[in-house]
Amino acid sequence: MGFTKEDVTAAAKQDLADRLGVDEGSVEELSVTGREFPDMSLGAPADGEMSAQMIATGWEIKLGAEGKTYEYRGDKYQLRLVDFDGRNYVIK
Amino acid sequence: MNRNNIWIHISIAVVLITLAAVLGQIRLWENSLRASRTVSDNLRKTGAPPPPPPLRSFDSAEPEVLVRFKPGVSVSDIKRIAVGKNDLLKDEFESVGGLVEIDDLDNADPETTANQYAAMSDLVEYAQPNYQINLEPDEFNTGSPRDGVYRTISDAPNDPLFNEQWSASNRGQDGGKENADIGALHAWAKTKGSDKIVVAVLDTGVDYTQKDLVANMWSRPDAVPEYSDDELGTIDDIHGFDADADAGDPMDDNGHGTHCAGIIGAEGNNGIGISGINWNVSIMPLKFLGKGGFGSTGNAIKAINYAIDRKQHGVNVRVINASWGSTQYSRALEDAIRAAGEQGILFVAAAGNNGSNNDRSAHYPSNFDLPNVISVAALDRTDTLASFSNYGVKTVHIAAPGRDIVSTWLGDAFREASGTSMAAPQVSGVAALVLASEPKLTMTKLRERLLSTVDKVDSLQGKIASGGRVCAANALGMKD
Repeated sequence: MGFTKEDVTAAAKQDLADRLGVDEGSVEELSVTGREFPDMSLGAPADGEMSAQMIATGWEIKLGAEGKTYEYRGDKYQLRLVDFDGRNYVIK
Repeated sequence: MNRNNIWIHISIAVVLITLAAVLGQIRLWENSLRASRTVSDNLRKTGAPPPPPPLRSFDSAEPEVLVRFKPGVSVSDIKRIAVGKNDLLKDEFESVGGLVEIDDLDNADPETTANQYAAMSDLVEYAQPNYQINLEPDEFNTGSPRDGVYRTISDAPNDPLFNEQWSASNRGQDGGKENADIGALHAWAKTKGSDKIVVAVLDTGVDYTQKDLVANMWSRPDAVPEYSDDELGTIDDIHGFDADADAGDPMDDNGHGTHCAGIIGAEGNNGIGISGINWNVSIMPLKFLGKGGFGSTGNAIKAINYAIDRKQHGVNVRVINASWGSTQYSRALEDAIRAAGEQGILFVAAAGNNGSNNDRSAHYPSNFDLPNVISVAALDRTDTLASFSNYGVKTVHIAAPGRDIVSTWLGDAFREASGTSMAAPQVSGVAALVLASEPKLTMTKLRERLLSTVDKVDSLQGKIASGGRVCAANALGMKD
């Protein structure tokens, strides 16, 4: 089995806390929603990345910290941070 | 000092600082040029190599750049230029003269490194970052095979899931529109394909042991030598090539490439699964997308370079299927695809799944304006442009079924999938079918044939260039 919704949500919270240098407890889980993405980069290609153009299902994870909202996307293969300072990142 | 004097002093200071910064950058460029010239000059004069760079451990995750050197700059010069910058020539893409992949051992930002090479403008045509995408999960769930419901159709193959293949024969099943298909049944009256036609599936690899594909997989003939590359060494490419691992085993660990391969050439009328557009064909798996379905542009180029090399060694590679893409332009990728075209290889690319107009917001490689590229949009079973499909009357050429497409999957399974990923191999498959019937048809004529024989679809007028859906029967000169 690959990643579960709980796996990618927990990993997203930890990543955001590490990235912002804040306590993980201060990262708020705003929503975790199942949805379709346009491709296997979950619609969030990293620099120089090519991805299979097949509709992929996964989760959109919205987290809040320090008054801002951050978006992660995950599926059973991966976790991505979307549009963080203008760039997408592959986290796991 | 009065207020006017303060502003004059501040203005002078700003000008001086700017001038110093510009001069400093020019000096850096000069040093860089001088270093590279010195390397070449020393070699020409004395044959002596430059001092060795500091020892650094090689790591495949080092930042990389793709650099195309100008004609006249030899590989040995490039190696020494790289060494002089504490970089490493990792691979040379022989099909595109002067194009190389360079590892930056200093771990600098790839854009910075690319800019340093680009600044050597008398030696370098262009340079761009080649970002590495390395993270991959541990496990993979293949999903659930879809159960087929077999209903008898006269002159149809005996494959049990054929009734689900609305793309091959749409009789209105499951709410579809009659004849909104590629006309495969009629086409098969003329040809069912040929194993002499090689279609490269440039993707996540292909499960070459899949029971409905195994008979149609390419294997390197004894007469063709193993793949040999100056940087990669000799690779036993019996089943194809894995550009990510620099190895000869392109086994699929995702499923996407296997799905595309089945659309093109799952064995027909064998009582198993589905029927590919070609009942007989040779599918060459090329892997550059990882387990997660994504990969680097550099590895895509490496795999294209492999296909060109095999063509030059007598393998009849006629089509490359590219069910992948991105919005990021790469001149190196464009050059590699152009080189494939110069070898007579048609390059069929997915138009992308953002539901957007590619004329306004480009998607690559489908948007490359090259004579061997066909960009493919996706249709649903009612002949409607799929809601996710990109379009563009100038940049998207043809449409094909791409929603709810059943095909082969890992583990001898079969499943449905949607995307322009599934539309592109319909066109690649029809291209191979036409070549089976007319093996001497040139790539240019083949492309023209595919685009000029579409079934016109009202909803595609003003949306894509041909205004129609690919039709195998028409392309073979039959009345569909």
